Amino acid sequence: MMTLTATAHMAAWGKWLGDALGTNAAGASAGNALFGIFLSLVVYLFGQWLFKIGKGFFLFQPLFVGMVLGIFILFLFAKAFGTDTATFYKSAYLPGGNIIFWFLNPATIAFAIPLYRRNDVVKKFWLEIVLSLIVGLVISLFVIYYVSKLIGLDNVGIASMMPQAATTAIAMPIAGAIGGNTAVTAMACILNAVIIYALGDWLVKFFHVNSDPIGAGLGLGTAGHTVGSAKALQLGSIQGSMASIAVVVISIVVDIVVPPFASMMGLI
Amino acid sequence: MAANDKATKTETAKEEQASPILIQMGIFAAILFVSSLISPLFPATFPVPTPVIGLVILYILLASHIVKLRNVEKFGDFMISLIAFLFVPSGIQLAASLDILKAQGVQLVVVILIATIVLLVVVAYTTAGFIWLRKNVFHRDVNVEE
Repeated sequence: MMTLTATAHMAAWGKWLGDALGTNAAGASAGNALFGIFLSLVVYLFGQWLFKIGKGFFLFQPLFVGMVLGIFILFLFAKAFGTDTATFYKSAYLPGGNIIFWFLNPATIAFAIPLYRRNDVVKKFWLEIVLSLIVGLVISLFVIYYVSKLIGLDNVGIASMMPQAATTAIAMPIAGAIGGNTAVTAMACILNAVIIYALGDWLVKFFHVNSDPIGAGLGLGTAGHTVGSAKALQLGSIQGSMASIAVVVISIVVDIVVPPFASMMGLI
Repeated sequence: MAANDKATKTETAKEEQASPILIQMGIFAAILFVSSLISPLFPATFPVPTPVIGLVILYILLASHIVKLRNVEKFGDFMISLIAFLFVPSGIQLAASLDILKAQGVQLVVVILIATIVLLVVVAYTTAGFIWLRKNVFHRDVNVEE
């Protein structure tokens, strides 16, 4: 009897919430955008708080916490509604998520501003920067391709791994165009930053990366995105400015190099 | 006191110089709109996403002094300060592809770990090589800071 009442309560509650979130509607596409926006903010702010009280523990990076916690919450909700996570994500989260995602457009083009602030360095070293990033990326792509093959990724997985050096908003459409999974590419970009944050100091020491400060900067900016450029700034101001240049320029280089590379390797 | 006064004055002058935030947003919107018109002109096998074009256009406009830093930096810096949060939906997007993670999650994470290290080391050493060439073959100055 008790359980029956509880179930009835749950059903009523579930119907109300489902209506509010837009998941009950047939087709379930016109969801309530506020849920996605709210959930994104909550998980990210929780991540920031965790990062602060965890004294910067590497797995507590706000974005990483936000991603894992957000997916976990969607998974729990989907269970409660008796649907699968992907369907619940699409109907309840995506409308709000897309609104936040849209703002990556202006945020990504805004990176032209820090690049321009370093224009003296860009002007002086543009040839070395562009050549190093192109040659470095092509070599890396070969290594990543064959490592992926060796480990046994399918073509979708391999294509998703190719554009990860670019910033997420640029890497995702390129991954989609060469037959990759954009979500996996986004995860790769996030994990790049987590890994550089966690292992950056050790990697720099172990591989003697800092023997050339310009190289250290470009390497950290390429491998770790904006987190990498924060790491580079700790090594010195040359490394810091080179890394912030690399974050921007490598995205353009990825766009030029990765699609032809993918078609050369028969991925598309 | 006098110095303090001067500092406040330059600060207010700077404040006056910065374009109103709506104008700054308008510049961003115009660049994005033009970029979104150019982006579909590229073939599907060679995609050039809208933000790439926008980034290049804004850089060219800044470098040619058509757009001044004060016209865009307030809004731009604000957007950049939000960037980590803006990536949250891209991360959560994975909720729609959990089956891929189930099938090859461990392999993907291993590849990402190796890729991160490879990108760092290969780019760093390639750069060191080109800088060495610049210094020892072309005898050009390699000081970053004047």
